[in-house]
Order: sequence, then structure tokens, then C-alpha cells
Amino acid sequence: MEIQPSDLGLVARVAGLGKRYGTGAGAVAALENVSLGLRRGEFTAIMGPSGSGKSTLMHIMAGLDSPTAGRVWLGDTDITHLPDGALTVLRRRRVGFVFQAFNLVPTLDVLGNVMLPFELDGRRPSGEERAVVDALVERLGLGERLRHRPHELSGGQQQRVAIARALATRPDLVFADEPTGNLDSRTGREVLAILADASRAHGQSIAMVTHDPIAASHADRIVFLADGRIVRDTQRTSAEEIATYMLSMERAA
Amino acid sequence: MIARLRTEHAPTLLVATLAAAFGVALLQVTGYLGSAMRADDVTGSSATAALMLAIVAWVFIVIAVYVSGVVTANTVATVVAGRTRQIALLRLLGSTARAQRGAIAREGLAVGAVGAALGLVVGTLVAIGLAEWAAVADVLPRVDHVWADPAVLPPVIVAVLTTWLAAWAGSRRVLAVRPSEALGNAAARSQEELTARRGRTATAATLAAFGTLLLLIGVALGLVTPLGVLVGLVGGVLSFTGIVLGAHAVMPPILRVVGRALGTSPPARLAAENAVRHPERSSRMTIGLVIGVTLVTMFAVAMESYRDLLLAATEDRPDLRVGIEQTVSATVAVFGILIGFSGLIAAVGLVNTLSLSVLQRTRELGLLRALGFERRQLRAMVLAESAALTAAATVTGIVLGTFYGWAGAQAMLGSVQGIPLVVAPSIPWGVIAVLVVAAGVLTLIASLAPSRRATTVSPVAALAIE
Repeated sequence: MEIQPSDLGLVARVAGLGKRYGTGAGAVAALENVSLGLRRGEFTAIMGPSGSGKSTLMHIMAGLDSPTAGRVWLGDTDITHLPDGALTVLRRRRVGFVFQAFNLVPTLDVLGNVMLPFELDGRRPSGEERAVVDALVERLGLGERLRHRPHELSGGQQQRVAIARALATRPDLVFADEPTGNLDSRTGREVLAILADASRAHGQSIAMVTHDPIAASHADRIVFLADGRIVRDTQRTSAEEIATYMLSMERAA
Repeated sequence: MIARLRTEHAPTLLVATLAAAFGVALLQVTGYLGSAMRADDVTGSSATAALMLAIVAWVFIVIAVYVSGVVTANTVATVVAGRTRQIALLRLLGSTARAQRGAIAREGLAVGAVGAALGLVVGTLVAIGLAEWAAVADVLPRVDHVWADPAVLPPVIVAVLTTWLAAWAGSRRVLAVRPSEALGNAAARSQEELTARRGRTATAATLAAFGTLLLLIGVALGLVTPLGVLVGLVGGVLSFTGIVLGAHAVMPPILRVVGRALGTSPPARLAAENAVRHPERSSRMTIGLVIGVTLVTMFAVAMESYRDLLLAATEDRPDLRVGIEQTVSATVAVFGILIGFSGLIAAVGLVNTLSLSVLQRTRELGLLRALGFERRQLRAMVLAESAALTAAATVTGIVLGTFYGWAGAQAMLGSVQGIPLVVAPSIPWGVIAVLVVAAGVLTLIASLAPSRRATTVSPVAALAIE
């Protein structure tokens, strides 16, 4: 019997992953032979300079893009060759997203945006799910603003709404793509604290792509990518140490 | 950039071409009929007949040009909404709002000129074709006619000027774009804009109320004199202008009701929200069609009421009835085709604005895909949105048109029999059926381009940073 990712305590896994754009001599490799397992309940940061392949890796792990080599699992599901329809349903039920540009639906109010994953799934949340959402809204300080539209909120508030939306369905994995990229440093720290709390206090698995050492220092584990390969994999460490390592990577390049 | 400009202006080009071609064809045909009349011994001396033809032709040309102006202004406004980021960036780099707006108006002038020139050619060719057909089918004798007639140029010039003016009017929002919008994400509505909207609503309400009052006075006057129709006409124009101006307040409640009828599936609910939550956007999309459907229905109701009245008056003269029936039916058909053309221009406008506005929402569509909306659901959402907008516009137009048509018939005909007479509005069910079917077809056409986009948009598009 094959060993399942969950047997290893993993929530997502890629093996021998490769992604090439174009064909022949002009082909560009965004990822080369990347193998990585994300542990359940952990807050993982994926770091690297621009063009290191970190966004491509996240897109593939989240079922938004397909690899040209290797295999991808989300939970115990091998999603490598899953057709679009099945991938869509999988994203809807088991993945949450937080984007740099917040990406709230401008026509929906705060509550509408938070409930969107249920709406897209064509169902009403169960009583238990509704309680989770209510607690989430309280915890993120959105209680007063449920009827506001995104353009009436500050950037930090918008990102809280996006986080609430991502956590609402208690997905297997939340992907955060530069979640603090559009925020000032104080608001950014608050957002990172919220993500870290969701992971530590509520067991939420989170994968965050970033190139900001301070953001990465909030994570339990940091994976460094350069030129489409994993070059380092460490436990939680200080922003200074991360920055120093990033600088040394830049110099070596 | 050039390619993008081309696709963005294709709708405006089409509308300008249609309006100019319609005007040119109409004037060419009336000119040809004039030549035919001069060649004929009986009507040869009748300058009055030629004048009447010209007046009728111009009434329909003005209506078509007006509709095309509204449609173009709304298309340009949609284009501007999609370009907000780019305009903000240019503002940020130091371009003035006036320069930006001027550039858009100049684009409008160029597109209008090209469209009108095309319209001149197309309209003349259509008229020549009709004349050939008439000669072959033996409807009219073949007459000598000079097609290169400067008298057909006015609609061409009017089409150019209207497109220019409409581009200017539609680009008003350029002035409200703040340079900082190039940096931020949310296109927050500024306080001035909200105030301006409130002022607009107040003006619209005043116009509608005052116009309706005048219209009712016209109807009352119509009981004793046919001149009541002139008072009613002013009232009708004013009140309808009020409705058009206040579309952002009038359409959302109607869209809400229609949206509820779409059902409760996730695509339908989102589509209903989309149609309602952005009043400016949805009124931009629908108002052209409301105008078109109102005009068609109004003419049809007025003519139908006129016909029923004539038939009732000649009930005991079956010998007269056949002649009247034929004449009136022919007139209804001709007027129907002429006014239907304005309806067509309005339909083109709806297709354009809906397509553009969905295409501009690539990011939103990508987001829904990333969050788990299937392609099929996204297509259903676009189709439902299109259906909600078309249905709301058609229903509103039919209701308004029936009222205006009845008011017109009542004001004009209320006194014809010497005693005050209440004219019952006659509903032309055939025309209404045609409108409903056309609306259905329109829904499908309007959702074609957007739903193609909806199926190809990559969920990654939502994650990309602009």
C-alpha cells in the first residue's frame, strides 16, 4: 500500500515538481525538481527573490496551475491530473486564499464576501459553521462593519475580510500571497499576528508566499526558493537572520 | 494599445455607422420618391407631399440620432470606467484631467467621422438597392435620379457631431478620477461624486414630476382640442428626460424584482447582486434599451389606438373600412420599421456595454474561479445578468411606452368627434410579442462575448498584481 501524505502528517505535498514555460530552446524553467511537504497545522512561509518560482509553486499547490513534471497532492487527493471541474470544487471546499490586492468582490458587503465560499458552493452554512464564522468576525473586529462595502474600508480592514473569507470554511490549507504587500508595517504586523494565531490557536494550516523577512519571521517554518529550486528549509527564526540569508542569496546570484 | 483602442471603439463605430446609414438611406429614399412624384403627372406639382415626406423622415432621423447619442455616451462612460487606472496613472504623471477628457472626445470625433462616412456609403447603397427592387417588382416606375445629392449630407454631419458630443458627455467621469487611484486598490467613490449624484436625482425627480403634470394637462386639453398633443409632447419629453437622467435611481428597484425571479442558485444570486449593486453601471447598460423599447411601444400603442378608433367610427360603413384598414396597416408597418431602427441601435448599445463591462471584470471573474466557481456557473452568471438587464429594460420600456402612447393618442384624438372622448389604450400584442422575443435573442447575443471570456479567464488572473 502506498503511503498517503496524511500518514506523514502532511496537508499538501509536491514531489519532483517541474514547471517549464514555452518549448524547445526558448523554454524557461520556473520550477525544477521541487519536493516539499507542508505539515498539518503549521504556518509555512515560502520565501525567495522575485522570479524564484515561489508564486508558481503556490499556484500549482493550490490547483490554479498545472505542473509539467512531478506530482501534487492536496490532503490525500492526487490533484496532478485532475480535470478543471474537479479542481474547482476542490478549491471551493478545501482551499482558502488571501491575496496581496485583497480581491474582495466589490459588489458584495463584508458579510457577503465572508459568506461567498458557502454561496459559491450553493449551500447555507450549518449552525456549527455559522458559529465559526461569527467567532471569526468577532475575533477580526469586523462585527461593526458587516454591512460595509469594500471601498468603505481601509486596506487593513479589507485584508481582514479576505482572511475571514479564507478561514470561514475551515479549509485544509490557506494560501496567502504577499498578504502584507499592500499594507503599512503596523497593519501588516496585525495581519501576520492574525494568521499566526489562526495556525497556533486553531490548527489552521497556512502557506504564505512572501519576500518580506519580517513577514516570514512570523511563520513556524521557512522554505527558501531560488531559481526554481528549494535552497533552504528552516524552523522559525528571526527577521534579521532571514534578511541576512536573503542578502547572501542575492550576492551569490 | 492600438488593438485595444480598436476593440473599445468598435461599438461606437457601429452605432455611428448605423445612425448615419439610417439617415442617409431615409433621405435618399424620400429624394427618390420626390423624383418619382415629379415624373408623375398627377402628383407632379405637389410640393406639400414632398415636404410632408421630408418632415416624417427627419422626425425618425432625429429619434435615431438621439438614441445613438445616448448609447454612445453610455458606451464611452463604460470605456472610461474600465480605463480608470490608466487615466489615474497619466494624471499621476502630470497630465491634466481636461487633456485626458479632450483626448477621449477627439477619439469620439475620429470614430464618428469614420462611422458616418461608412454610413453614407452603406445608406446610399441600401437606397439604390431598394429603388432597384421597386423597379423590378413594379412597385414604382424606374425614374432618373441623381444619388450624389448634397441634401443627404446633414444626417452624416449630425452623426459625426453627435458622436463627438456623446463622447464628451460620456467622458465626464474622467474629471473625477484622482491621481491616487493609480496607487490604491479600491476605487472609492469621492464625496463630490455622491453629492453630484444626489443633485442629479433631485433634477431628475423635478423634471419627471413637472413633465408628467404637463403631460396630464395635455391629455385634459386634448378632450377639447387636438392641440393638447403639443402640450403633452413637451410634458412627455420633459418627464422622459427626467427618467433617463434618474435611471440610476429608477432601474435598481426594477432590477431587484427581476433578479428575484432568476432563482436562488449561486450564479443567479450573484448575477442579481451584480445587476443591482452598481446603479450607475446597470443604468448605463439598460437606459438605451429602455428608450428604444419605449419609443417602439409608444408608436405602436398610439397607432393601434388610432386604428381602433377609426374602425369603431366607421362600424356602419364596411365599404370605407377596408380602405382605412389597409392604409393604416401600411402606415403602422412603415412607422414600425422606421422606429424599430432606433430600437436596433439601442440593442447594439446594450450588447456593447454589457460585453465591455464584463470584460473589464476579468479580475473579479478570475477571483470567483479561484474561490471555486466552475466555468459552467460563471457562464450561467453572465447569462443571468444579461437576462436580468434585458428583461428589466424591456418591461420598463413597455410600461412607459404604453403610457406615453396612450397619452399621445388621447391628447390628439380626444376631441376629434366633437365631444370629449376617452380613448382606451389599445395594446398591440403582436408588437409586444416581437419585443419580448427580440429581448430573448438580445440576452443571448449580449452574453456571447462575456461568457467566452468567462470560460477562458484563468484563476491566476485574480492573483496577478496589475
